[in-house]
Order: sequence, then C-alpha cells, then structure tokens
Amino acid sequence: MRKGVMAVAMFWLAGSAAAVENIELLARTCNNCHGLDGVSVGATMPSIGGLPRAYLSKIMKEWKYDKRSAATMNRIVKGFSDDEIDALAAYFAGKRWQPVPQKSNVVARGRALITENCEDCHGITGGDPDIDAPRLNGQWAEYMALELEKYRDEDFVMPHRKMKKAGRQLKPDDLQPVTGYFGAQNK
Amino acid sequence: MHRFDRRAFIKTLAVSSASILTVSNARAAASKARVVVVGGGYGGATAAKYLRVLDPGIEVTLIERETLYTSCPLSNEVISGERDIRTLQVGYKGLLKRGVKVVHDEVTSIDPARKTVATAGGKSFGYDALVLSPGVDFNYGAVAGLTRELSDSRLPHAWKAGPQTLLLKQQLAAMPDGGVFIIAVPKGPFRCPPGPYERAAQVAMHCKQHGKNKAKVLILDANDSFSKKPLFEQAWKELYGYGQGGMIEWVPGANDGKVERVDPASLTCYTGFGEYKGDVVNIIPPHQAGKVAKDLGLATFKNLWCEVRPENMESTSQKDVFVIGDACVGGELATNNGFPKSAHMAISQAKAVVAALVARFNGLPAPVPVYTNTCYSVVGHDWGFSVVHLYRVENGQWVYIKAGSGISPVTLGTPPRPVPRLYRRLEAKYADGWLRNVLADAYA
Repeated sequence: MRKGVMAVAMFWLAGSAAAVENIELLARTCNNCHGLDGVSVGATMPSIGGLPRAYLSKIMKEWKYDKRSAATMNRIVKGFSDDEIDALAAYFAGKRWQPVPQKSNVVARGRALITENCEDCHGITGGDPDIDAPRLNGQWAEYMALELEKYRDEDFVMPHRKMKKAGRQLKPDDLQPVTGYFGAQNK
Repeated sequence: MHRFDRRAFIKTLAVSSASILTVSNARAAASKARVVVVGGGYGGATAAKYLRVLDPGIEVTLIERETLYTSCPLSNEVISGERDIRTLQVGYKGLLKRGVKVVHDEVTSIDPARKTVATAGGKSFGYDALVLSPGVDFNYGAVAGLTRELSDSRLPHAWKAGPQTLLLKQQLAAMPDGGVFIIAVPKGPFRCPPGPYERAAQVAMHCKQHGKNKAKVLILDANDSFSKKPLFEQAWKELYGYGQGGMIEWVPGANDGKVERVDPASLTCYTGFGEYKGDVVNIIPPHQAGKVAKDLGLATFKNLWCEVRPENMESTSQKDVFVIGDACVGGELATNNGFPKSAHMAISQAKAVVAALVARFNGLPAPVPVYTNTCYSVVGHDWGFSVVHLYRVENGQWVYIKAGSGISPVTLGTPPRPVPRLYRRLEAKYADGWLRNVLADAYA
C-alpha cells in the first residue's frame, strides 16, 4: 500500500512542468463526478471549481488522514500523495466559481436563519465568505443539505467545531430553507 | 422524483476549458488530424468531446447507430419503477455543439492498412487515429434455447439499456405475489460487476412496495463470488430477507448455479442438475467485445476481449487503433484486480486516449495516465454503497493502487459496529448526482 504512494511521490519530483501536465490528467478524472472545470450539474455532487485552495487542500487531507468522515471521497484521496492533493487544490481553486442558481420557495425564512447562523462566516449570499470558508452562492442545495446532515450526525466524524455548532443549532426543517436560499443565489 | 433541472444545466454549458494541454487553433479550416470514434456510449462520447475540448484543431467524427443513448448505470431503478427512463437518456446535440461530426450509421468494415472506416450507409471515413468503444455483444448461443429474438421479447436481458429495460419493467409489474424472478448471471468478467445484484435488490424493493411479500428473487450465478458481496448480503438481509426463507436467494456456480439451458415456453432454467421455473426470467447472456473490434481481430484475450497498452489504450494488435470501454481488458493484474467494465472506467479510459492523442498530434511528450473508477449501487430507499478503483501506470504496466481503492465500509471500527444509516443514505444520494455528472461529462 505505502509502496504505491511512494512511487507516485517520485513522479512529481520529475520537474514542475511534467507535474503540472500530469495534474491536468488527474484533475480530469475528477470531472466525472464534479464536472468540467469543477462545475457540477447537480444535485448532490458539489461544484468545486473556484473554491479556496486552502479549503480544498485541508478537506482532502482530513479525509486522507481519517480526521473527517466521508462516504466515498476518503477512499479516493488515500491514493493521492499530499503533493498531488495540493496540486489538485490549486488547479480547481484556479477555476472560475460558477453559481448555478436553483429556485427556492422558502427564501424569506432561509434568509432569516442565515442571518442568525451563517452570515458571519459565509456572508448573506454565501458569495463573500471568510478566507477559509467555501463559497455557497449557487452551490447545489441538495449537496449542502447533505453536508449539514453530516455536521449534525453524532456518528459522522467532522472536525469543524463552528460548523458542527451552527449545524446542530438548526432544526430539521431549517435545512431546506437555509440551503435553498444559498442555492438560489447568483454571483 | 428524479427531475433534471434543464435550465440550470444549460447555464453550465457556457464554460470553456483552458489548460496547459488545451491547444487553441485559430486556423479552424485546416485540421491537424482526423480521429474517428466508433460507438457513442459513455466511452466514445467522452473521447469525442474531450478531443474537441482540448484541441479544436482535431477533426472528430463519431459514428453511432442510435440517436438517443440510454444509460445502463442506474437502469435497474427503471425496472423497479423507482426512476423514469428519461432521466437516463441523452442525445447527441451537445457533441454537435462541440464540433463533433456525429454520423448516425453503422460501421460495416475497417481497413487498418488504408486507415478507413466504411459504413452501412455507404460512407467512408479516413482517420489518423481510430478509437473503438463498441461495448459488448451477447453470445446468445452460450445458453441453449436463448436467441436474440427472445431477448427482445420474452426473455429480455436488459443488459443494454433501452427497450429491453422497459420490457423487463413491465414483466416485473405484471408478476403476481408469490412469483419468482430469476436472474441468471454469466461467468465473469462481464459488464457492470455489481449490476445483477443491484437488480436483485431493486426487484425485491418493488415487490415489497407492491405487497408482493411472498415473491422470490433467485440469482442463478455462474460465479462463486461477486462485487461488493458483503455489502449486498448485509443490505439484502436487512431490507428484504436473504437466504433461507428470505426474499432473495443466491446460488453460486459451485452449487450448480450456472444456467446451461432455458425453455422459453415454460420459463424454466436448467443448470447442470437443477431445474428452476420462474415467472420472470432474466438471463444475462455471456458477452464479449463488440463486433466491430472482434471483426478486426483485436479480441486477443481469450478470444473475447481486446488487449490494450496501459499508457494510451492502443490495441496491442493494431497500431493507431485504440479500444476503450467494456470491450477492452486492463490486463491480468497480479492481484486479480483487472479493470471493471463500468461507465466510469470507460470515461477514464477515454480521457487517457484523448491525452495521448492530443500530445501526439501536437508534438508534446506522451503523458502518463491515471485511471479511476467509482461505481455506485442503490439497493433501497436511502441505501447505497460504492466501490472505487485507482490505477497508475508504472514501467508500462498497470498498477492497482490499493490505498485509493476499495468498497464502502461494511462495519466501522474495532470491535466492529454497524455503519450509521447516514453513510448509506449519502451514497444513495450521491449515485444520482454521479449519474447527472457523468452524463454531462460525456455528452454535454
């Protein structure tokens, strides 16, 4: 198991030009689930193009080192070296964030809940987040609701104290309005 | 409800990709190379699209018989009534918009010396590189009594999604309580390793939902094990009953599970020593590389599957001809973890060919590909699981990377405790998101 990862690490020492070229190839395999340029067409798979580099790198490493539970991603990233993870994070962070606004009919209630629970770190539209927070404007609402379920579930290991707190403060029928509001936002 | 949000989706199409391996070509009139792609399934469509995305200077012709593609992945949900087949269907407008010349025709012959492809419609296409993604062809004769005509009517295999999927759905809907749904699985390797077992779960789900609690799902298997086995058995047990007295029963090859003959009139399946009468009989015939590849003599692996080079999927028998998707084999890996025949693999392989060809036609060094697979199975409401595979290429050989591969957890921790339901729910949901994205990745 270790050997495969070590052999891969050797690849990346072969020169930065080759490394960039090869990260394209690896990144393209991510398109299968996350879309070309990291723009997902929905609804449970997130768009990842244009998310912060530090955020993407952190999450992938948390999955890799079992600090954060995942249903599928943790297996995948365990096959990548830390350098590849950093390169993938840089690659997708360099793409343009493309909101895909989805209609929501609980906009008013969502906005009120967000003001109280989410605005401080994510901004009211989710488009103006703090430096380590991901953009949420026009992200897929269903994906975001599933993420909140993870933060709320005792059995699902999630490392982010603030997200767990905020996620658990919400009531079960707050999830749709909150994620619906962010998902309906544009640029 | 699985509703595809077209409006939102169309907005995402206004995306162009710029990268180190993207080469823009101002002089669109003179093409730098011609690539012909045969087969418009997940593999062929992805190859055609990504060639155009990465280098619009390459002329791409895709030859595909049908004008509408129906995704085989997740078609088991159509059979059970959980999914509308239209959510699995896509046309070729997206590829046309990318500048792919889509030709709805059938390939009749290939001349690898002159590098031309001839079609039933009387057309001829020259190529610098040929990508074959012909899928599989079924060996009906391997099960005595089975014919192609019967598969299109009384005994649908529904192992190529489309009309047969709907036929099988109708047959299941009409099956009475106490009825027996037989699924006959061929000896591997076959298309979609977990498919028959997901189908069993979906059929059982349908039965439970429609009060057919005395129905049985009987899997007659030529094999002695199967993909994600502990996960399927766990779910079957929990959701439908498995084994003695349960709704689902599995007969492995070692227990004489292989179906040798079928009597269409009485719907009876005959194994070596056994006789099983069904109300619905779903025989998945043994299959092999699609005709187009076989006719060219490329199926050198057991005379069934096409062998290819790890670094670029080029046929080991024919230069400048590349074989991707279910028709190829990814070598006999020491750990017996050869490429699964899946849509995700086909897309992965298509991207590897594309990277190799773009580099070749632009005088760039040949890249080293990475192959990934992610395959979801949905066995119940809010119950799904997956397998992932990661392959690298080292010293011209495929290497299966165990660290980045594996199935969803069956239990968690030591001592083992049950996996929280949220995990299963997430993967059932992710299966739908995956489907939308792979369809767009290949066709949009």
